[in-house]
Amino acid sequence: MSTSNHELIMCIVNTGFSETVMEAAKDAGARGGTILNGRGTANKEAESFFHIAIQPEKEVVMILVDSKIKDAVLHALYQKAGLDTMGQGIAFSLPVDEVVGLTPWKAEEKDGKVSAQSSTAKNG
Amino acid sequence: MAETKKTSSRRLGRTPDGHSRVSMNRLKILVTTVNRAKADFYMDHIQSFGVNMQMVFFGKGTAPQEILAAMGLADSDRAVIFSVIGEDRLPAALESLEEKFRTIAGGKGIAYTVPLKSIIGKSIFNFLSDNRS
Repeated sequence: MSTSNHELIMCIVNTGFSETVMEAAKDAGARGGTILNGRGTANKEAESFFHIAIQPEKEVVMILVDSKIKDAVLHALYQKAGLDTMGQGIAFSLPVDEVVGLTPWKAEEKDGKVSAQSSTAKNG
Repeated sequence: MAETKKTSSRRLGRTPDGHSRVSMNRLKILVTTVNRAKADFYMDHIQSFGVNMQMVFFGKGTAPQEILAAMGLADSDRAVIFSVIGEDRLPAALESLEEKFRTIAGGKGIAYTVPLKSIIGKSIFNFLSDNRS
């Protein structure tokens, strides 16, 4: 058991965009994640007022990351799968206290610099 | 007047907004991600540590096939188990889970905890923390 330096990033996107999320997260140094299916709800009155349609089918991507790369991953998700994109995603992070079962891992060098120094999550 | 109120609420072990503060056996959410076929096994195992409420969600992992094979996993179907557990039982539960992850064939997984900030209802709190006294 280790008192962790990790955070859990949760990203909720329209169905079909979890790959976009994972690609963005991996580019920022994350190793893997878990995808859950869900159904979103929206205020119908607000939808018609603002003339927008909210797709109810959602995918929730859970990614455990090293705290050091948390900002980079969130930033990448905001850019590639945020509300201004087709994925219409929101992302947030939760604190994580203890972690067990993580495999030690070192990222390969990319463009001359290491993208993630220590073990980031691999839960896929 | 405001200062007096603040002092008295501190004496009662309450937060400034009037909520009771729990200083012993705080609750946490234990998130366990395992192969779907092993979900029932791990849920039963976690329950034996005084966990009274669990939820399981079925999903898919995103690791590439090579990594899956290296970890001894055949497919990407995953179960994510959310268990509400008291802080006092957590070390034993995590230690045991770590051992199971290492020793059980196809039982590799990860587990981590997320702290719970607030809960409403005394009986619900006692139920979740398995407080039978």
